[in-house]
Amino acid sequence: MTKTLILAFAFAALAYPAVASPNDHQHHDENHDHLAHDHEEGHRHQDDTLDDAPTDRSAAILTRTAEIDAALAAGGEPIVIDILGVVCDFCAKAMNKTFSKRAEVASTYVDLDTKALSLVLRPEATLGDEMITTLVKKAGYRTAAIRRGEAALRGGDNADDAS
Amino acid sequence: MTRSLAVIAALAIWTIGNAEARPVSYEGGWTVIEETDRQSTSAWVHYTLTPTFSLGWRSEWDRRQDFVFNGPQATYLVNRWFGENYQANIYVFGGAGVATGVAENDAGSRAAAFVGVLADWETRRWFASYRARLFEAGGVDSSTFHAARFGFAPYEGDTGDLHTWLMVEIDHRPDNPDPVGVTPLVRFFKGSALLELGWSVTDDQPLANFTYRF
Repeated sequence: MTKTLILAFAFAALAYPAVASPNDHQHHDENHDHLAHDHEEGHRHQDDTLDDAPTDRSAAILTRTAEIDAALAAGGEPIVIDILGVVCDFCAKAMNKTFSKRAEVASTYVDLDTKALSLVLRPEATLGDEMITTLVKKAGYRTAAIRRGEAALRGGDNADDAS
Repeated sequence: MTRSLAVIAALAIWTIGNAEARPVSYEGGWTVIEETDRQSTSAWVHYTLTPTFSLGWRSEWDRRQDFVFNGPQATYLVNRWFGENYQANIYVFGGAGVATGVAENDAGSRAAAFVGVLADWETRRWFASYRARLFEAGGVDSSTFHAARFGFAPYEGDTGDLHTWLMVEIDHRPDNPDPVGVTPLVRFFKGSALLELGWSVTDDQPLANFTYRF
């Protein structure tokens, strides 16, 4: 019993959360094209009801894949959503599945490097910030910021409040 | 024994921070999990009803204690901490069903139940987890275990890449002849599939885990 408790305590102490190194993304996959990652400094509008760490990353822009380009060419609205807590492909799967079920959405892509979800809507379709935030929550994550239109394509200062 | 498990669970909760491959998925998502470690082999299918709650079915064959368990399992995400570069979760889970002795265990079938706690913390480079479980099945089996895992990714893969992790799991099973086990393993992760292969250096048993998320 005593040994059990000592071991439990040791495990707990060892497993105590370490500090994540900020901006720890050097690797970049080449099967898609980010127009830039070094745009202006982030203008985060965080959901203050969340148990989050503050963010200071640069504003991600729309990740370009063949499917996203096709959806853009068809006239759909581009949207980039900064997501908190994205660390693996399961996160990407969750968001792709959740958003691709929506009739308004033509194409999605989650980029682990930028921690952003890129969406292009179907022509004439709309998807409000409130619904986007709800869908991200249903996927199990949190929205940090939402950019649309030119800001999504090239970066810019019109991030919407995610709360 | 029950008191000691309560203390362990409390310690785990107190550490608030560290556990394992998400037992709650996105709303409406299915997950299939197979796990084989030095003690048992199990299959688990779960469906995520809400972003904080999943319900599934677990079948488990304890190869060392010679029994099979079948029953539903519920998992609740108590809290998730989000950061730009990390995610941390704490879950509680429980299940109830029937345990049946097999091979040399002639205890027959008994009602069985288990409760546990699971916590994890991960970035794209580092991983730590802790889990503890109390299992009670009358004369068939009564056991506890807890385990911690630490991992490191030698490179950061982007979406859809093959992700590779080097990990070590340390488990403690007080009822075993070798109570403390050490199992180095490699995790491969691509898209919706996760495969872990390892070997317990304590008692020469394989570890083979597979998860697929629909």
